Amino acid sequence: MLEVKGLTFRYPETETIWRFTFGVDHGECIAINGPSGSGKSTLLNLLAGFLTPESGTIRWENRLLNELPPWERPVTSLFQEHNLFEHLDVQTNIGLGIHPGLKLTRTQKEAISHGLVSVGMTGFERRMPGDLSGGQRQRVALLRALLRDQPILLLDEPLTGLDAEARTQLRALLLRHKAAGKVLVLASHDQEDRKILADKLLNL
Amino acid sequence: MLRQSLPLLAAISLPLVANATDNNTLTVYTHPSFAADWGPGPGVKEAFEQQCGCSLDYVVLESGGDILQRLRLEGQSTDADVVLGLDTGTMETARQTGLLAPHDIKLDALDLPVDWQDSLFVPYDWGYFAFVYDTEELPDPPKSLEELVNAPNDLQVIIQDPRTSTPGLGLLLWMKAVYGDRAGEKWQALSDNILTTTKSWSDGYFSLFMNGEAPMILSYSTSPAYHMAIDKTDRYQAAEFEEGHYLQVEVAAMVEPSDQKDLAGEFLRFILTPDFQRHIPLKNVMYPAIDLGDELPDVFARLIQPDATLFIDPARVAERRKAWLDEWLNAMIP
Amino acid sequence: MRHSPFGYTQAPFSHPAWQIGPGLTIACGLIALTVTGVAALLWQAHLPEVSELWRNRYLNNVIRFTVWQATVSTALSLLLGLFIALALVRQPRFPGRRLLLRVMELSLVLPTIVAVSGLVAVYGRHGWLTAIVEQWTTVRWNLYGLNGIVLAHVFFNAPLAGRILLQALESVPAPRRRIASQLGLKGRWLWRTLDWPAVRRVLPGVAALVFTLCFTSFAIVMTLGGGPASTTLEVAIYQSLRFEFDFGRAALLAVVQLLICGALWFLMVRRSLSANLSPAREFPESIPRPDSQGVRRLQDVALLLCFSLFLLLPLAAVLFRGLPGLATVAINGGQPLNEMTEATLRSFAIALPAGAFSVFSGLLVLSMSSRGGGHLSRLSSVATAVPLMVPPIVLGTALFLLLRPSLGNSYDGLALVALINGVMALPFVTQLMRGPLNNLDKSTVRQADQLGLRGWYRWRWLHWPRLKRPLALAMAYGTGLSLGDFGVIALFGTPGQPTIPVLLYQQLGSYRMDLAAGTALWLVCLLLLVFAAFSLPGYRRNHRNLAGNVFKALAEGRHA
Repeated sequence: MLEVKGLTFRYPETETIWRFTFGVDHGECIAINGPSGSGKSTLLNLLAGFLTPESGTIRWENRLLNELPPWERPVTSLFQEHNLFEHLDVQTNIGLGIHPGLKLTRTQKEAISHGLVSVGMTGFERRMPGDLSGGQRQRVALLRALLRDQPILLLDEPLTGLDAEARTQLRALLLRHKAAGKVLVLASHDQEDRKILADKLLNL
Repeated sequence: MLRQSLPLLAAISLPLVANATDNNTLTVYTHPSFAADWGPGPGVKEAFEQQCGCSLDYVVLESGGDILQRLRLEGQSTDADVVLGLDTGTMETARQTGLLAPHDIKLDALDLPVDWQDSLFVPYDWGYFAFVYDTEELPDPPKSLEELVNAPNDLQVIIQDPRTSTPGLGLLLWMKAVYGDRAGEKWQALSDNILTTTKSWSDGYFSLFMNGEAPMILSYSTSPAYHMAIDKTDRYQAAEFEEGHYLQVEVAAMVEPSDQKDLAGEFLRFILTPDFQRHIPLKNVMYPAIDLGDELPDVFARLIQPDATLFIDPARVAERRKAWLDEWLNAMIP
Repeated sequence: MRHSPFGYTQAPFSHPAWQIGPGLTIACGLIALTVTGVAALLWQAHLPEVSELWRNRYLNNVIRFTVWQATVSTALSLLLGLFIALALVRQPRFPGRRLLLRVMELSLVLPTIVAVSGLVAVYGRHGWLTAIVEQWTTVRWNLYGLNGIVLAHVFFNAPLAGRILLQALESVPAPRRRIASQLGLKGRWLWRTLDWPAVRRVLPGVAALVFTLCFTSFAIVMTLGGGPASTTLEVAIYQSLRFEFDFGRAALLAVVQLLICGALWFLMVRRSLSANLSPAREFPESIPRPDSQGVRRLQDVALLLCFSLFLLLPLAAVLFRGLPGLATVAINGGQPLNEMTEATLRSFAIALPAGAFSVFSGLLVLSMSSRGGGHLSRLSSVATAVPLMVPPIVLGTALFLLLRPSLGNSYDGLALVALINGVMALPFVTQLMRGPLNNLDKSTVRQADQLGLRGWYRWRWLHWPRLKRPLALAMAYGTGLSLGDFGVIALFGTPGQPTIPVLLYQQLGSYRMDLAAGTALWLVCLLLLVFAAFSLPGYRRNHRNLAGNVFKALAEGRHA
């Protein structure tokens, strides 16, 4: 169970204060709703540890996450773009999600290849992100997020700007993931995304 | 290929590990032009090692000033047994360190233009400072210092800075010896004719003079000997000045804290023998400190023979140098 | 490896102590060395009379002249460097661009005596160019004086400035460049939107670097300055230490030099840090600039040609002068050839470790500055610049005083020489690597943080691939500077076995002028070789990237 209580944040030299309180359970997806600038990305960045809150708590399974640095939190982020290291090939990009020193077992390497096959990118292991289309890049990023196997997935407009086919495929992947018991926190403008994926709604 | 380069690698890496100084090694601090492969160093080393059954090691420092500097810094713990390469400009400062030991060598064999009696320093060569000129550019060089000082502006010469170079200091003393209290105004008169003042002799000779920038440079009266004997060209000659030329004597001395005093004494004595001195004329391009007789290369007979030798007592130089430098600076900076 | 409650993998060397410790040690070491150095001199001497500084007319003049010539030289070097960098950015397909870049890198590491000899042959009283100019025009050019000093300083430093500014200009993000291209921005607006923001980040650092180099310049100022009126503080320090053994005065002057350069450096660094906020992703693709066509193109090409000549003519003079000597050595072989070979190997045995040491310690110091806050960052900038501000002779004397008991004999000196050479190269090396190391963009940093790419892993996957090219260039600078070094090696005393520059001076001291010219040429060839060799890996990578970037541009275009 992911529990956020009285989490507040303010950007330096601004007046606006954001407050967030909600809870999500295993196998649930919460959609965050609100216009641009209402703090959707801010919330996801607070959860990931990229920003530090003024007050309030973030708990996962009753453990306090507030003090943990990003690399120790049980979360994986997926942004609208720039999810990949441009100078590293697809295989390395995914592999680094599994082990930051790329010390992979044979099984893990096979998992990467299988994963690529499953998203229709057979044989893309050595390609550079620069050679891929937007949809392909996002598939690679999602694949990394899934293989990384952290219980919480933070999705910041992950499907925006992709073509219909890519969206369908990625949604299916996310649903499968949710069914496996993961927690999804989704920020999206898209009605359809919310309809298909979300169980709860948080209005900002 | 590998086998060929192995000894070479060994030669490079060995010195880095070889550390112990065995008790039969004489360590001599000297400067590069002495120890260079074209300098007298290697020949002297071979001859002395044959005679003494010891080994002779050179530690090469940038200049005479550095030898003295190093000696002062090391003080009582110095490795040096002998310092070789001080000159009349630096020897008094060296004497004041109290780090040099007296020698007991008879200096009768010396063949210098001045009378030399010194309890610490043994001369090993000498020469005159002189302006060397390019005969193709300057067929009619000045005949006296006075003529140079008053020369029209189109005669440009290169000198070295007395603050940083030995010949530079030599010229300062030369002017002082000739003009005494009027040296300052003469420097002012000369300044129009100075193309530039270089840090070291090498900078001026290599970068400027040999590039044809000026037809005349402050150097040594013996410089043409090298060009005549080895380069086989008479193009570069020294201009003889009526007032006479300033003398430079290069000296060696035994180091007081040395634990090889016997060997050091033997080396100082060796300096005044033909086995040492025969390497001086063409390898150090200076006059030998003793009469070498027939062994003196013929070209030395074709060098200028100044009518008068100018020389200021080193003790007085040491005492007055700073004041004279200030005088020079004031004359040269408008 | 430690496992957290949520099963993340701890990366080696990712503890904060590892990020800051080694760099902080080196930075503090450098500063401590300077302080103890000056203190060691003072301890050996009486306290100097500080009021001498403003009462002594000579010292007054020296300080004023030093500042004046350094200011003029810096301004001109930066201006020319900027124009060259802009022209190179506008004309990515200028034929001979790569060669020009190599020569630009080379000029800084040329030993003074070699460069001056080349400059004199071209611009001297009887130089090639002077002869042409004086034959066709009424201009009378005199090299000796401020003219010559500034000319030589521009020769050394404009290429350095141009090289660093070019690196900055090329790091402008592609999207921004595309927009500028689409909007057809030209002239002042292109400058304000694209070039100035990029240049502004590095300009203060480059200015401080060039100013310090000119401020501490020594042999050039004397040789081309014409007379004692052109004297830098460094000459006065040398004089006090080497000839008058006046340690107190030397220390006092060294402190003045440190204060002037250090204060300037500190100001510059503060400014450059406050401006150093815009992150830069690496987009080395070439996007046509609206101002790269037509008359502008002709102007650029003309400028680049003139600049190439400016740099190449002196080198050509070195070539012509040295060819006979080098040919003799190569053909006759025997003793001179052996010596040259041995000296070459010996030089590399010192220079390669020196280069590696300087790159390695530079990285440690820089990574400290990227992890730590503003104070650490400033400390790193100033500390790495310190070796430039301290006169080598002061540093050498101080080191000698400090290390004397542990120095077995002068042979050990060689290792020390490599170490000091490495330290001396730090200011250049860090200047080249700072940008690429610290300019990771936000999304990359966030990804890396989340994935636990820290410590060694971050270095391995993020920095190393991006740093290869600047690192190789830094290595070339470090090695090249050490290869051409005469000052430090002469200070510590060498056994009879010379390095190439020492060999050169030995030949000069023995009147072997032709041989010396040959050795000088050989040294230039070696330096060129070093820069060519170290630019190879970067070149290949660049090509692949270019291909990749075409695809990327297409791909991004699809959903842009």
